Amino acid sequence: MRTPNRHDLLEFLTRHFIWVVLVFTVVVFGLTIKGYLGLANIANILITGSVLGVMVIGQSLCLMARKLDLSAEGTVSLVAVVAAWLMLPYRETDLAQAGGLGVELDPLIVIPLILALGALIGFVNGFMIMKLNMNFFIVTLAMQLVLRGLALAISEGAIMPGTPAAFNWLGGGRIAGIPVSVIATIGLYLVFGFVMSRMQFGRKVYAVGANEDAARASGFSPARTVILVYTASGFLAALAGWMLLGRLETSVPNLGIGLTLNVVAAAVIGGVSLKGGEGSIIGAFAGVLFLAMVNNALNLMNVDPLWVNAVRGLIILVALIIDAQKTRYAGRAGPSAPTTTVVADADQNAAVS
Amino acid sequence: MVETGALPRRDMTLLDMRGISKSYPGVKALEDADFAVRRGEIHGLVGKNGAGKSTLMGILMGIREADSGTIAIEGETLHQASPQTMIDAGISYVPQHINLLNTLTVAENILVGNLPKNRFGLVDWKAVNEDSQARLSRLGLKLDVRQPVEGLSVAERTMLAIAKALFNDARLIILDEPTAALSRVDIDLLFGFVRAQQEQGVAFIYISHHLEEVFEICDRVTVMRDGRIVGMRAINEIDVADLIHMMVGGGVEEYQRESSAGHELVFEVQDLSRRGAYEHVSFALRRGEVIGISGLQGSGVDELAQGLFGLERMGVGDVTIAGEAYRPGSPKSAFEAGVAYLPQDRHRYGLVQLRSVRENVTYSVLDRLVGRLGVLMRQDEQAITEEYIDKLGIVTPGPEQRTLLLSGGNQQKVVFAKLAATQPAVLILHEPSQGVDVQAKVDIFNIINDLSRQGVAIMIISSEVRELIGLCDRILVMYEGRITKEFSRAADNMQPEDILLAIEGGPGDADA
Repeated sequence: MRTPNRHDLLEFLTRHFIWVVLVFTVVVFGLTIKGYLGLANIANILITGSVLGVMVIGQSLCLMARKLDLSAEGTVSLVAVVAAWLMLPYRETDLAQAGGLGVELDPLIVIPLILALGALIGFVNGFMIMKLNMNFFIVTLAMQLVLRGLALAISEGAIMPGTPAAFNWLGGGRIAGIPVSVIATIGLYLVFGFVMSRMQFGRKVYAVGANEDAARASGFSPARTVILVYTASGFLAALAGWMLLGRLETSVPNLGIGLTLNVVAAAVIGGVSLKGGEGSIIGAFAGVLFLAMVNNALNLMNVDPLWVNAVRGLIILVALIIDAQKTRYAGRAGPSAPTTTVVADADQNAAVS
Repeated sequence: MVETGALPRRDMTLLDMRGISKSYPGVKALEDADFAVRRGEIHGLVGKNGAGKSTLMGILMGIREADSGTIAIEGETLHQASPQTMIDAGISYVPQHINLLNTLTVAENILVGNLPKNRFGLVDWKAVNEDSQARLSRLGLKLDVRQPVEGLSVAERTMLAIAKALFNDARLIILDEPTAALSRVDIDLLFGFVRAQQEQGVAFIYISHHLEEVFEICDRVTVMRDGRIVGMRAINEIDVADLIHMMVGGGVEEYQRESSAGHELVFEVQDLSRRGAYEHVSFALRRGEVIGISGLQGSGVDELAQGLFGLERMGVGDVTIAGEAYRPGSPKSAFEAGVAYLPQDRHRYGLVQLRSVRENVTYSVLDRLVGRLGVLMRQDEQAITEEYIDKLGIVTPGPEQRTLLLSGGNQQKVVFAKLAATQPAVLILHEPSQGVDVQAKVDIFNIINDLSRQGVAIMIISSEVRELIGLCDRILVMYEGRITKEFSRAADNMQPEDILLAIEGGPGDADA
């Protein structure tokens, strides 16, 4: 046994960095912004954070598997439009407002339908990436375009207001004064936190993300694992779409646009590495809280909207810098981390013996 | 560059490396190595895999940093060694797999980054082709410069790479296994070209496993073993047997394992062939038996190991385990059939380095650790991990340590633990002692011994002939895809020199 040294401390700090930052943020904003820690504002933070939060779970799974899902925001757009279209009564498009298809399906039918649609989209992503050997970045980017395009085509670019109350419960309802969306999001974090840390599936995702070859040689099927990860990501994106539409009660065809960067940022801020195989769901949760708090503070401080994006971008960059340093540090600490070398193969593996 | 003015004198030292040492955590890769090359000589550098050749060359090229020692070129000591300073000093490396811009023409490859332009600022193709053609003919190299590099033979590419190095004022060129993929005709072509450059005063370091070629082309040869320089000889002072003896060494403390082979056949491979990899491979393993298979790179041993574990296609032929047909479609099915494989490339296939010892040890047996609803049973998992940490003597602060932070030997033990946890009937070990220190080697041999006593049939693929002799009941030699020779304790013919000669494809009556 050895006693903890400086490296352990460094590793501990980089791993749990986000919690330190989170406490610091609460204290600073709490002291400087009036009403920041009031119940109404906390509820506000949590409600806006919940859609982001649900999407971050799916994205975190993808990142842990060393992949990325750029199509998730497109799934949000599409399921919102499809749900409204199937539920609302028909009406002539007027002043860029439209009605539905006219079938007026019951929300209890529509909800499982859109969740299944999300899962299917994710499955198709995963299948193309793992079975057809396509690049995940391009596949999910193209998929995003397809989904967004479909959402626009179906809605004809019009908004569809007035989704039924039963449907809106998840996004806008409250139980004992607590928003349902917040309860649901926290519940999902508990479930996925457990899945990733204590179940076989989680173990495989980390293994595949950290080293796909070794995972295969350990008897895992990377294809199956990654396809499942994307399916889960699609499902969660659909759930986020349901939640968001329920909160707004109006389908907007470009719902969710631009969410991806925030989602990835929250996950990375929470310690989920872009390089795969690392991070935790609970960390990602902290990342979501942090980002939701900062967004809220920027609002309350009346920061010039022209500056908001710059500030956000900066935060994301800082998170990425920390992520890059973390992996670099890990690489250096390893006694025999693979090094790039131009020495011929014959001796490459034997170089240290 | 230093201009001496005088004609180069042949006996003058060009490169002088002294007292070079290099350690990696737990491993001494180089110990006090002295290595010198004269002007205009072809100097062979031989040694088994892992002898330290590539570390020494890496230091010479400035891509690895020596812990101690000095490098002098033409008497001038270099104070810092970066890849650029080494290139400036006239040292150039030609790898086994040549790096050229394959879709561009020979001329473009020669003048890349420095293409002549016409007065409109566009590339002057006429000048490009004429200039490069002229340069090549000065070296006596006949190539059509308008031809894309991808159309060249391997020998032509190698010569082109050497030519490019010479255009950059190289004085010392390292050739790493240049003939590995060449026919005899091409070898003659290449050697002719190399000798012509040697006449002009260029020096070469020639790294090869093919000893007869070393005798054919080299003036002197330096032998390395276990990170040390064993000796340097003029080529006309020694013969192949001497050289092999120097490479293998003698009088080293040896590990001797007692045979535990039973009678029951466990694993039978019959007439297994895979195009381009191996042909008509047949052998059988008994319960508790340990056999070694050895061969050069490209002899098919590596492919055989990966094929038998389902990492690659296995090819056609019959393989049975305890009488039942065995056809692994994936490592998963291999594990299920009772076959486990320790990969040569531990970092790529063996370990998930970012994850903990506990996770790595239990990857192979996760299915058995799953309780209700797919939840892993923490206590069982912990118990298995601790059992193997204890049994195999894995030195780690705890089961939660990331495997990345362990030493090479302990990493290897973690991979062993992962395999042993599946309780395999057949264990395929690919260079199990590579990249680990001496103590860990002995530990690993003890693990192999213990497993064989428990009845596991073990197949070790290794180029460490002495280790194989100490461990194995039989040793098979593979050459060009076939098993060409068998040595065994029973026949009392496990002589390291004979085995190494067979590995190099030397004379011998193929009896398999």
